[in-house]
Amino acid sequence: MPVFRKKRLFIILCGIIILVAMIGYSLRDRDSLTMPEKFINDTVGWVQSVIHTPVSYVASIFSNIDDIKNTYNENQLLKEKLAEYKSLIYEVQEIKEENEELRNTLDKSDSLRDFNPIHATVTSRSPERWVEQITINKGEQDGVETNMAVITAEGMIGKVQATSEFSSHVQLLSGFDQFNRISATISREEGNDDIFGLIEEYDKETDSLLFKIIDESDTEIEEGELVVSSGMGGVFPAGLMIGTVTDVIPDQYGLTNTALVEPAANMYEINNVIVVDRLLNGQEDVTAEEEDAE
Amino acid sequence: MKRLIIPAILFLLLILEGVAFELLPANLVTGNSVIIPHWVLIFLVFVAIFYDRANTYFCVLYGLIFGLLIDVVYTSVLGVYMFTYSITIYMTHGLKKIFHANFYVTILLGTLSIAVAEGIINIIFFVVGISDIPIKEYTIYRLLPTLLANFIFMVILYPIFAKRLLAWQRELLHMGESV
Repeated sequence: MPVFRKKRLFIILCGIIILVAMIGYSLRDRDSLTMPEKFINDTVGWVQSVIHTPVSYVASIFSNIDDIKNTYNENQLLKEKLAEYKSLIYEVQEIKEENEELRNTLDKSDSLRDFNPIHATVTSRSPERWVEQITINKGEQDGVETNMAVITAEGMIGKVQATSEFSSHVQLLSGFDQFNRISATISREEGNDDIFGLIEEYDKETDSLLFKIIDESDTEIEEGELVVSSGMGGVFPAGLMIGTVTDVIPDQYGLTNTALVEPAANMYEINNVIVVDRLLNGQEDVTAEEEDAE
Repeated sequence: MKRLIIPAILFLLLILEGVAFELLPANLVTGNSVIIPHWVLIFLVFVAIFYDRANTYFCVLYGLIFGLLIDVVYTSVLGVYMFTYSITIYMTHGLKKIFHANFYVTILLGTLSIAVAEGIINIIFFVVGISDIPIKEYTIYRLLPTLLANFIFMVILYPIFAKRLLAWQRELLHMGESV
């Protein structure tokens, strides 16, 4: 019997050693997943997309019933808004054309705003809630790469964390830590300076992103101002909606301000997303230029 | 072929865990309390109690394999679920010798395993630095809702699988004494 006990202890110790080794390996900064991981992700991802279709169908029936209840009121409101939008659309078109003309005269066709959208469907969400991660059904074969921004119609929801051939993992904004920074800006009307800063991490207590302001402006930040990505980080394009300011707090020395930003997109009801492939690729251009110089 | 039924069910549960979020009512999901489906673990407990004999360890093997799958697919931190599920199931396998396998014992052992597994997972995540909430809030907002939700799932699953797993045991393991 003592021999058996020793064997059991030995196995548990081995297990702990393997556990520590594996955690250490997976928490290391790695660029891409290993082959077996990609294979598992693709296999599971394929079955997930098969299962997801009937499940989302059933789920949509229930939400449809909910929607029908307040259709009338919504309709009334939307009709009013639609009238407003019509004039807005006209205005936007004019401005777009003008912008293009001006760009053409300047010979500057690339913009930080341009991106190539890759449409994807969310197939699953991690049941482990410490890890805010969803799986989408597009992978390397469709041009998805690590660190690309992921948006919905409402705004940014996260970035691509890891890619496999036919599926990818997306880290949601609500899972961002201080290692995932977004260069962001608050855009102002003419005459006032824009505010620049970095979105540093997600604060779970207030359910908002911490927007650390680097470039202070004379005018104070107000509640409800829009925060968009600035495109200066080199990966995300400019002009992606991130959220609205809910509060501004000074840091402990009173030198800089931090704005609490409520994400514009709903992190819980995500079905269709767009992976943003920035056309103007900052980092690659730099390396290409360096190579040319050599 | 019949040997593949249990892994197939476990695989299906693993995938359903990923879409569980959509099936649950929205106010449960967006509220303060956090529910984590541990359906794979629940089925593993059933396998440990009804399918495995005292000298076979299929449940621990499945725990290792499907724990690793959960790690790869859902958390991208390898090893956590693999270690937790296999240790917890090994413990359950040892405990079942003391009790008779009836409804109450199954539910009790299942709830106990989920509590233990949740505990180990959170200790590991705490040490690694992924989670950082105090133990009191953790118990109220995460552990209790999770236990309750999984308890309901267990009660639903019991009548479907208890008899079947026993039948599969008689069919598949009577000659496999060497396993």
